[in-house]
Amino acid sequence: MSLFHMNNVKKTFSHGEIEEEILKGIHVTLPEGKITALTGASGSGKSTLLTIAAGLQTASDGHISFQKEDLTAMRNEKLRQIRAKQFGFIFQFAHLVPFLTVEEQLALMLETAESPLSRQEKSKEIREVLELVDMWNRKDAYPASLSGGEKQRVAVARAIIHNPKILFADEPTASLDSKRSEDVMKLIQKLSKERNITVLMVTHDMDMLNFVDHVIEMLDGKIVKK
Amino acid sequence: MKMAWKEIKRNKLRYTILGSIVFLISLLTFIISGLANGLSQDNASLIKNLPNGTFYMTEDADETYNFSTIPETQQKEILDEQPDATFFSIQMGNFIDEADKQRSVAYVTATDDTYFPDVKEGEVILDTSMEEEGIAIGDEITNEQWNQTLTVAGFVEHEKYSHSPAAFISQADFQELFHTDSMQIGFITEGAINDTAAFTDLQPFSNSDFLNTIPSYNAEQMSLNMIVIFLLVISGMLFAIFFYMINVQKLGIYGILKAIGVKTGRLFQMMWAQMLFISIISLVFSILISQLFQWLAPSGMPFHLTLQTTLLLSIIFVVIGFIGATLSGIQIKRVEPMQAIQQGEM
Repeated sequence: MSLFHMNNVKKTFSHGEIEEEILKGIHVTLPEGKITALTGASGSGKSTLLTIAAGLQTASDGHISFQKEDLTAMRNEKLRQIRAKQFGFIFQFAHLVPFLTVEEQLALMLETAESPLSRQEKSKEIREVLELVDMWNRKDAYPASLSGGEKQRVAVARAIIHNPKILFADEPTASLDSKRSEDVMKLIQKLSKERNITVLMVTHDMDMLNFVDHVIEMLDGKIVKK
Repeated sequence: MKMAWKEIKRNKLRYTILGSIVFLISLLTFIISGLANGLSQDNASLIKNLPNGTFYMTEDADETYNFSTIPETQQKEILDEQPDATFFSIQMGNFIDEADKQRSVAYVTATDDTYFPDVKEGEVILDTSMEEEGIAIGDEITNEQWNQTLTVAGFVEHEKYSHSPAAFISQADFQELFHTDSMQIGFITEGAINDTAAFTDLQPFSNSDFLNTIPSYNAEQMSLNMIVIFLLVISGMLFAIFFYMINVQKLGIYGILKAIGVKTGRLFQMMWAQMLFISIISLVFSILISQLFQWLAPSGMPFHLTLQTTLLLSIIFVVIGFIGATLSGIQIKRVEPMQAIQQGEM
């Protein structure tokens, strides 16, 4: 069953009078509860596709449907609510809030997602997720005192704490060494299975493809292989 | 609110610097305002102590009380119609105290004792600043041009005119000293006027208009008030610039928070909470120190800062700080999540 579908999505950037077409009519369907990887050379448009899919930038043309709702026709506030409640994000860098502890980063996400859980339930959920990413023992630490791998694990925890339907990950292992990259991918794989989260992930690390269910290869703004 | 507080706690130095600058500027504003009020009191407390009402001078006096002469007959005519009216005169002069020291004063006499001290013939009542300078009740004062002496009968607080202490004397002594039975100024309180026709040929002045006829009063107050206004504007700009700089540094965080779905309004609330917190703490310190300064200031220093003025200035500070911070916060509205994501690790 399809949860998320992109139909003929195009993206054009203007540089003065010159127009550059980054995405040239993309059709993608994400299978529910599976991990789909977007690969391709630098400049192939994979990160642009991911950010458009996640509602972080707009498409120049085409339609994106999520749970039968057209994201491209949606007002900004509605789109924000979907990002907060239904989507999770992992970026190349962890991008944690520097003045919040590990535990507070997750509490902020639950609050942003307007989680209906009680305070006690929230604390329990935070503990469960932090234990899942093996970061409960660092719950009171600030990002500045965490290693790169630890930060990324917290970023993963933040991305899934509110039980999103889709997790968007833009090169989540690019800033990590191979051992830590593997750990993070195993974690994403585990979470996707346990929580039935659909994942769309950009990567150019071929080793990471061992952890995904589907691969979409892009070249010059087009899908060349599924 | 909690996020705002957490950020302040994690960036103590940054916010302490902002708080210190707000504290110093607000303290300077309070001190200048205290001096402005103090000088205003020193220059015209005799007039400022009167209730709201209308002052009258003769039209040909050209708004200069020295040139105004309301003859006794006209005073009587007016008093017949308006028994609550008071007439008074002020003359700058001097006297020699018992230690043969010459003192400058503003001699004041009035037709009744409703608004001015009741003084008997041969007596004088002085502003308390004279007591602080060593003059005591029972002392006799004289003048080179007089044939008589006046006995100090008492002191009154905060009665000064044109930076000189007031010396209240009886009408008879005033006539003797200045050779006139006319009065310069008529005064009647706001609610007491029932027949404006009684004051024909006299020019009316409100309290503030009359204060502005005092030589130097207007220029002195305007200069000091301009300094206070500039300090308030500077503090507003300071808030805007400082929050602009802080916001520029935090654009990455704002972008990521927006990406994960945090409302822009919440980011503004966080900034406002920080601005309020810093302002209130700084202003509390400023208020305490300015009040302490008022208490410790040398008695000769014209410094007068009421809690009402301080609170009013504090509210203006907070409002200006709020506007400054909000203007700088426009960047928060403009920041795109994509910018932050592409910016790399913060």
